[in-house]
Amino acid sequence: MISFTLSEQQQQIKEMTHWFAKHEMRPISMVADKIGNVPEEWLDKVNQMGIHLNTSSFSNDKNDSANKRGRKEQEGNRMGVIATEEIAWGDPAIALSLPGAGLGGPPIQSSGTKEQKERFLTIFKKDKARWGAYALTEPEAGSDASAIQMTAKKVSGGYILNGQKIFITNGSRASWVVVFATADATLGRAGQRAFVVEKGTPGFSSTRLVEKMGLRANETAELLFEDCFVPIENLLGGEQLYKRSRSDQSGFEMAMKTFDSTRPIVAAMAIGIARAAFEYTLDVVQRDFPTSGKFYYLATEMLAEIDGNIAAARLLTWEAAWKADLGLANAKEAAMCKAYAGQMALDVCAKCLELLGPTGLEGHIVEKLYRDVKVFDIFEGTNEIQHLVIARRQYEPYGIRV
Amino acid sequence: MISFESTEDENAFVSIAQKIASENIRPYARESENKGMIRNDMIKVVNELGFLKLEEPESYGGLQLPLISQVQIQAALSYGDLGIVQGLPGLADGASLLRSMEPKQMNKDQQKLVCEGESTIAFIDDINDKAMGKRLSLTKSGTNYTLHGTSQPTRLGQMANHLILAVLDEEGCPVICWMDKKHHHLKVNKGDYRFGLLAASIAKISFDNEIISQDQVIATGEKADQLIRRTHTRIQIIQAAKQVGLMQAALDYATEYTAMRKAFDQVIAKFQGVSFQIARMVIETRIANHLVWEAATVADKNTEEAEGPALRAIQRAHQGVRYVTNSAVQLLGGHGYVKDYPVEKWMRDAQAQVMLYGREKNYLIRRGKQTLATKEKAVIT
Repeated sequence: MISFTLSEQQQQIKEMTHWFAKHEMRPISMVADKIGNVPEEWLDKVNQMGIHLNTSSFSNDKNDSANKRGRKEQEGNRMGVIATEEIAWGDPAIALSLPGAGLGGPPIQSSGTKEQKERFLTIFKKDKARWGAYALTEPEAGSDASAIQMTAKKVSGGYILNGQKIFITNGSRASWVVVFATADATLGRAGQRAFVVEKGTPGFSSTRLVEKMGLRANETAELLFEDCFVPIENLLGGEQLYKRSRSDQSGFEMAMKTFDSTRPIVAAMAIGIARAAFEYTLDVVQRDFPTSGKFYYLATEMLAEIDGNIAAARLLTWEAAWKADLGLANAKEAAMCKAYAGQMALDVCAKCLELLGPTGLEGHIVEKLYRDVKVFDIFEGTNEIQHLVIARRQYEPYGIRV
Repeated sequence: MISFESTEDENAFVSIAQKIASENIRPYARESENKGMIRNDMIKVVNELGFLKLEEPESYGGLQLPLISQVQIQAALSYGDLGIVQGLPGLADGASLLRSMEPKQMNKDQQKLVCEGESTIAFIDDINDKAMGKRLSLTKSGTNYTLHGTSQPTRLGQMANHLILAVLDEEGCPVICWMDKKHHHLKVNKGDYRFGLLAASIAKISFDNEIISQDQVIATGEKADQLIRRTHTRIQIIQAAKQVGLMQAALDYATEYTAMRKAFDQVIAKFQGVSFQIARMVIETRIANHLVWEAATVADKNTEEAEGPALRAIQRAHQGVRYVTNSAVQLLGGHGYVKDYPVEKWMRDAQAQVMLYGREKNYLIRRGKQTLATKEKAVIT
């Protein structure tokens, strides 16, 4: 039955994460932006509270009978987007800095061996804050993920990695990083592999933390791999995975599949940011604006547009998450919500700044949110790439590959 | 629990509606437009399946379906042709008024007229667009009212045998009343419509100091205000759903065309200028659909609470239907502009529909006022 009412559990998650965002994140938001990081003691505290950034709750077996009728329906993805919207409302840079597997979680969850899941996904404990990371982008390969130049040369007992990765969220502090490399260039995409490279592995280093327009409190690293030996146990999914079905289990496919679960999460973050800007601005308009005349009508129209656009983005995101929970193909919906929410959130923040006028330049969170939100239209696949994915799915019935 | 899955019943209804749309509606779209009317055999088929009575209360012989079911069916039918769907006889928007009424708000004579089964109602709404000035004047004279003036162009105005009017009286007090055309000397101005929805039987109705007796009055004052608000909400959701159907039709047609049409030695779908436009149309259509679904589910629980979501849904559908149909014409190029292809008609129909069912800016301002008036954050679910 079509429904947009949150279940009791979803409502609880929403309220709990909103409380956390309001009382723990928002108070340090502007300070973290200024100092360019999230204080360690704060991260330790929230880690002890058991709060993590988890983006890997999607159903990984499309034939899993749990996804069919008769057994309890999985709702991890819906829970994920609901909770993520709230913490991004609190502060997106801090949200991305929360301990946990982050964007590295989904590929391990979906393609890792049982042993790898045990090794890498169970380290996120309360004793110490730990992070995972996901490294795909290179200086010469961003949107075209099939063109990555990092090499993985097979040697006795493992692979030797050489190359560079950029724009890696939490890449320097991460305990491990899921890294994509080309093992056999002659096979094209099928020749790509994914590895889990652990911190401290000889030949693996973080060379720089980049400074950015926004999300300043969140660490964005450049990683270097110089003759970095990675044991065969760290080949994601193991050799068997690639031998079993070479065509659809390349590292490239794994990277793409990851996006199906992470893009709704990124969209949910954008929605949280937009909502934060909207609610802040609404308060200002209600308090300071005239209740009639030109500015009043300007505000009503803009606020209504914002309200509608946020609702639209949320519904697209929920749909993508719902399909993932049911184990249905959701690449198109994931791209749709990401494409729309990223652009929408930037537009919302711009409209809010317009309503605030010159006073919005300083001391208001909206200018920070505007700086933060731009990248949500870029990372996890640019807006243009999302359009490409949508168009490809749209033309699939006609046998056309756009 | 958040879910986008239709029920089995809804799927069955939609499946039949899709069949009707493809076999009985789409092939006759041009003919209906050219003649300005709909074939009787088509009306018969649609009526027999109950599609003319989706919104009517069971007590009036209707199906009284929840809005969430109705919107899926209306979208599926409108996929065939919005112009035809808007010209189908029946209680149409008037059914939403009946659905919004308190029990016994309509007297027995009025109920009997509706239950005759042959009624077609034109809903003349002089309140929704009041910012632009009243077209009709309603003056109280003793226990009766006197109605004077000419209505806006109204859907089903030509063929209707009954009218429901929502009008403000001379003191600005809303009045909802009922008229049986045969008991009044009304002038139906068929006009010279060339723009869109040409099979929708659009006409202006002129009233020359017509007397409206007390037993024709359904509600006045606060009751009328509440009733008209609930009615507007339901109408907005249903009309937005029809627009979604039209958007989907234009999107699918443009997708297929661009997948077949070749230029510069390849199908034009391979050009990003084309495929990205299609992607944007996909997003807009899905958004319009989901906002309609959301508003419908809220309205099925409580119509008053659905006022905001309904405004959101109709505003976005107004925006989307023009964008998508215009884009479809653009993607077909010169072919899109000529009547050999349906998209030029869809573009005209879309714009006509928007003009009949309220201004997008007006909806935005109303929604914005609601947002500003409440301390509750409007977008927190």
